[in-house]
Amino acid sequence: MIEFTDTEFMICTAARLLEDRKTVFVGWGMPQLVAMLAERLYTPSLVQIFEFGAIGPQSLIPFVRGTMGGPSNVYRSLQWSNMNWAFAYAGTGYVDYGMIGAAQIDTFGNVNSTLLGGTYERPARRFPGSGGGNEVASLCWRTILVMKHEPRRFVERLDFMTSPGYLDGPGGREKVGLPRGTGPWRVVTSKALFGFEEETKRLTLLGVLKGLSVPEVLDGMEFRPLATDLVEEIAPPADEELRVLREQIDPSGIVIRGEKMRAAR
Amino acid sequence: METILQGTAEIRFTHPDAFREWVREHKRREMVEKLMTEGEAVSRCVADGDYIAYDFSSLTRGPQALVREIIRQRRRDLWICAEFTLHESALLVGGGCASRIDVGFLGYGNYIGRAVSDGRVRVFDWTNGALASRMLAGARGVPFMPVRTLLGTDTLRHSGARVVHDPFTGDPVCLVPALNPDVFLVHVHQADVFGNARIFGTNLFALEAATAARKVILAAEEIVDPLEFRKDPARTTIPYFLVDAVVHLPFGAYPGGVQARYELDLEHIDKVNAIQSEEQMQAYLAEFIYGVQDHADFLNRKVGWHRLQDLARRATIREGYH
Repeated sequence: MIEFTDTEFMICTAARLLEDRKTVFVGWGMPQLVAMLAERLYTPSLVQIFEFGAIGPQSLIPFVRGTMGGPSNVYRSLQWSNMNWAFAYAGTGYVDYGMIGAAQIDTFGNVNSTLLGGTYERPARRFPGSGGGNEVASLCWRTILVMKHEPRRFVERLDFMTSPGYLDGPGGREKVGLPRGTGPWRVVTSKALFGFEEETKRLTLLGVLKGLSVPEVLDGMEFRPLATDLVEEIAPPADEELRVLREQIDPSGIVIRGEKMRAAR
Repeated sequence: METILQGTAEIRFTHPDAFREWVREHKRREMVEKLMTEGEAVSRCVADGDYIAYDFSSLTRGPQALVREIIRQRRRDLWICAEFTLHESALLVGGGCASRIDVGFLGYGNYIGRAVSDGRVRVFDWTNGALASRMLAGARGVPFMPVRTLLGTDTLRHSGARVVHDPFTGDPVCLVPALNPDVFLVHVHQADVFGNARIFGTNLFALEAATAARKVILAAEEIVDPLEFRKDPARTTIPYFLVDAVVHLPFGAYPGGVQARYELDLEHIDKVNAIQSEEQMQAYLAEFIYGVQDHADFLNRKVGWHRLQDLARRATIREGYH
């Protein structure tokens, strides 16, 4: 058996999705660790873009939390620019992948990161809002969403749609004027990996963590994701992934801590 | 152009001609010395009801000393542009200074979330990119900027953006209104007494916001000889004529850091983030803001020489920041 946290599983699964020699728009927090891990183990030539204008940083480790714009996180970039230029690169189609978090998603991969419950004026819980998430989800070719696996986060109707997925289905993005050919591509959770079916643009289960059953993963969701004929078994974090994460990237455990999980190797 | 959809947010909007006329009347073209204390700068440039923007982030090169001075002078009914804003939005709300927030990213800590839920502060949702585009429009002297974001979302519906058919492609496009803040606060690495300034490293929209704002308060880690700018003009981030006040504020981004000068003080930042109740907030403000005379007094009595030297020693990454 191997022991890990739900956060470590998300980071490792997402890191395995990234493609080398491509560009990725990296959001604040967990996506930074995903990119750091991928850069060290899988995609040494991945070019990261931060929304405030750091292009191609080679962030130093250990990870310095909080200040994405600080010297260690934007170390040895190719360019230091500003926000309007970072989004200019995304707007003109230079950014292949984008990676953002979510509080809720629906079947079309639309994202809520603004509020839960209550009314807009008096929300029961208020979150930071879009940040640059709406730009990433609107402009990058393929968006990867990273979210803790809790059934209540998969809803029929979002409390607030912060950033666009496929909106109301096929053709929805183009109809409102979003750049064509863009949209959510994968959803990485702490138990599973989802994609979107080509025809219907609906959330589709692609894989589950080794040892979990499909019903265990889908139970309690407000809608039932589609499933491919062969739902893959996702390997738990490998020793090497955990070693790099725990010893090199986040030795203080500030981001990688979480709910304890275990799986057979 | 027919409006297809219109967001519901209240917006602060200035006709580009009104802004141009304001600049013609009020912004000095001659090079005059603008060095003053933070107390003078805030009392001259920041009025109740003003719209305030700042650069860069709460944790890196943010104008924290200026924000503390605004709270100390108890400005009221401010509308703030919360882009990359973490604890200073909470402090401004806690100090009773801010009543409205345009949100790009509004973090963190429970205090600000609860203030929104309780209706003590009104928020209008935008995005980081939309606010940066609004600032660019404000800086260009045009009434709006077209963007291909926000479209299809509740963020758009609760923002002040509008959707129209673009006359060139015929497709729907989102228009965000120009933003011309009353005041822009920026902390820079180097400035001269006239207001020429250099920022090293990345920024949000420093030049856009300095151009778009009616008044600009510059806080500088270091005051340098004006000749330095003429010797190396490609490195000038902000030219003097945009600037109204220059304040020499070493360690002015504390508890955040300034690249290559000093690291952030995570211990102090965690203390601010841990604030949950009104009581805790008022205790913090009393000790660290109302209870000191100015920034120098704050550094002397609340941070201390040893702490500052330690933070400076930890700023070991220098390359690129000169």
